[in-house]
Amino acid sequence: MSRGPWSLALRRLRTDRFALVFGILFALIVAAAIAAPLYASEVAHTTPSENHLTDQIVVDGEPTDVVSLEGIPIGPTWRGSYLLGADENGRDLAVRLLYGARATLVIGGGAVLLTLFLSIPLGLAAGYLGGRTDALISRLLDLLWSFPALLLGVLLSTAISLSGAQIGPVTIGSGSKLIPLVVIGLVYVPYMTRPLRGQAMALRGQPFVEAARAAGMRPLRLMAAELLPHLSATIVVVSTLLFVNAVVLEAALTFLGAGVNPPEPSLGVLIAAGLSEVVLSPHLLLVPSIALVLIVLSLTGLAEGVRRALDPRGKVNFDLVRGR
Amino acid sequence: MIGFAARRLGAALVTAWVASIIAFVLFWTVPNVDPAYWLGGAQHGNDATRARATEKYGLDDPLPVQYVRLMKSILNGEIECFYSCGSLRTTFVQALPVTISLVAGAGLIAVGLGVWLALICVRHRGRWQDRLITTAATAAYSVPSLVLAALLWAFVSYRWGLFPAEGYVRLRDSPWGWAKHLFLPWIASALPFAGAYVHVVRASLLDTVDQDWVRTARAKGLSEKRLIRRHVLRNGLIPPVNIWGLDFSHAFGGFVLYVEVIFGLPGVGGLTANTLASFDLPPIVALAVYLAIVVVFFSAVVDVIVAWLDPRLRQPRPST
Repeated sequence: MSRGPWSLALRRLRTDRFALVFGILFALIVAAAIAAPLYASEVAHTTPSENHLTDQIVVDGEPTDVVSLEGIPIGPTWRGSYLLGADENGRDLAVRLLYGARATLVIGGGAVLLTLFLSIPLGLAAGYLGGRTDALISRLLDLLWSFPALLLGVLLSTAISLSGAQIGPVTIGSGSKLIPLVVIGLVYVPYMTRPLRGQAMALRGQPFVEAARAAGMRPLRLMAAELLPHLSATIVVVSTLLFVNAVVLEAALTFLGAGVNPPEPSLGVLIAAGLSEVVLSPHLLLVPSIALVLIVLSLTGLAEGVRRALDPRGKVNFDLVRGR
Repeated sequence: MIGFAARRLGAALVTAWVASIIAFVLFWTVPNVDPAYWLGGAQHGNDATRARATEKYGLDDPLPVQYVRLMKSILNGEIECFYSCGSLRTTFVQALPVTISLVAGAGLIAVGLGVWLALICVRHRGRWQDRLITTAATAAYSVPSLVLAALLWAFVSYRWGLFPAEGYVRLRDSPWGWAKHLFLPWIASALPFAGAYVHVVRASLLDTVDQDWVRTARAKGLSEKRLIRRHVLRNGLIPPVNIWGLDFSHAFGGFVLYVEVIFGLPGVGGLTANTLASFDLPPIVALAVYLAIVVVFFSAVVDVIVAWLDPRLRQPRPST
């Protein structure tokens, strides 16, 4: 019995111990992020935005201020409330971290979905139709490609925050979490479209495409039914790699004030806030930094595994650190 | 060769010009908040400031006229900000050497480390050294520059005081002080790139080592050292060089933005970050145009250098 390419890939992924470990780690992080409200209400008994400036908790039998009179927040208690300490407003850092990780992952994932939504039609059209369509799409994307993702992102995001934007039925006001999502999604369009276009171009001359055309298939249907399945491996590989970059780009944009707006938590917000408080409360910088590294590391390990499983001959070209 | 360089620089000019139009459209015409209000001092503009701003910037003129006037003022360096920004072009040109020092140093470290480690991997291919280095490289590019910069600054220079926490010394004034101020920013920016380069260079070198002509060269008695240096590296580094080139030009609008902010370096990245935070439109457009020129110029220069290294690339690209 012959096996399909997907089941072969899955089998390769299952025997890839490296990828499995990172995959499980990432699954745990996602589960924790999803469970953020549960943790907040059941374990920490607070919300990510609730201040506790004057509260006291009992540590080792002694009542301790959450935020001392000098304004120094409590460090990690390793207990239910203030597991990882508090910030300068007495907010529970563990709760904010979980909500922040959730925001970062949602923005990263949403951005990749938006990129896919735009790049698949663009890449297929440019690669299969060729000619003027290709010239137009490629020139446009080359222009975007020649500028760094972070600069484009910061400029776009600033422009949108100044004016708000109207995309179909969705209105994005300034300060919305959708701004970084849309910006990152747009900035990565050339990164996804390029490989898709290349593959579509290579497939155009294949006999099965000619056969479909000879049978009278319309271009639109041909692209969706005949070409798209051949691109799925590339799409999955590039998407996972872009997801890693999107998470990093969110943190960088937010750090520069062009992403998620504080007090709304995201990993970028927490790192930026931690950096300004690092003298007296190093945990405020260390905790979100470690969290971001763990997310990026696990996701990279998983993405590399997916790449080894789906693209064993290394056909997909992807520059790992560009676009952050 | 000269023809290629001229063509490439011409294309760069066109790209920069299109970018300036986009920046103009994005910041001058799209904001549905009345730009006059923004120019009249953030959100606090009233009818008086609005009238003043409209007259000062000629906001009632047709858009092409406004575009030409804005670009003229940007290229002359005499941008009228509502907040004071002095001569932005002079500030930008003075800040540029700081950023070039940062990017060039980080680039040298990333490329040097990447090639050196990749060579070790190739020599010990498949053995523990190879596995150790590739694993370490993956770990290196999993630590984002942002986090690395924040942690290095916060602990090594700010809390422990091992390196200056702020400022910059010109290379001309004191090479030692220059290196001391830039050392941590270099490390923070270079490590993730070095990690990625190990993978890229290793893959490319392994491809090269398997070629028939390498076997032939070895069979005719070339020493391993000479073989690697003169033959394998020269061919195997061509694909990575293209990546380095693009990364180098992109760096001017990439990691420098936050690395310079974190380390308090007075470069163009920090300048851009501060200007964006001020929401003052004319200098934002100006910096977008300046950075576009820098990025496009460096990517053209890099392309010319790469073409000089590999004559095959000098022919006009087949329509890709």
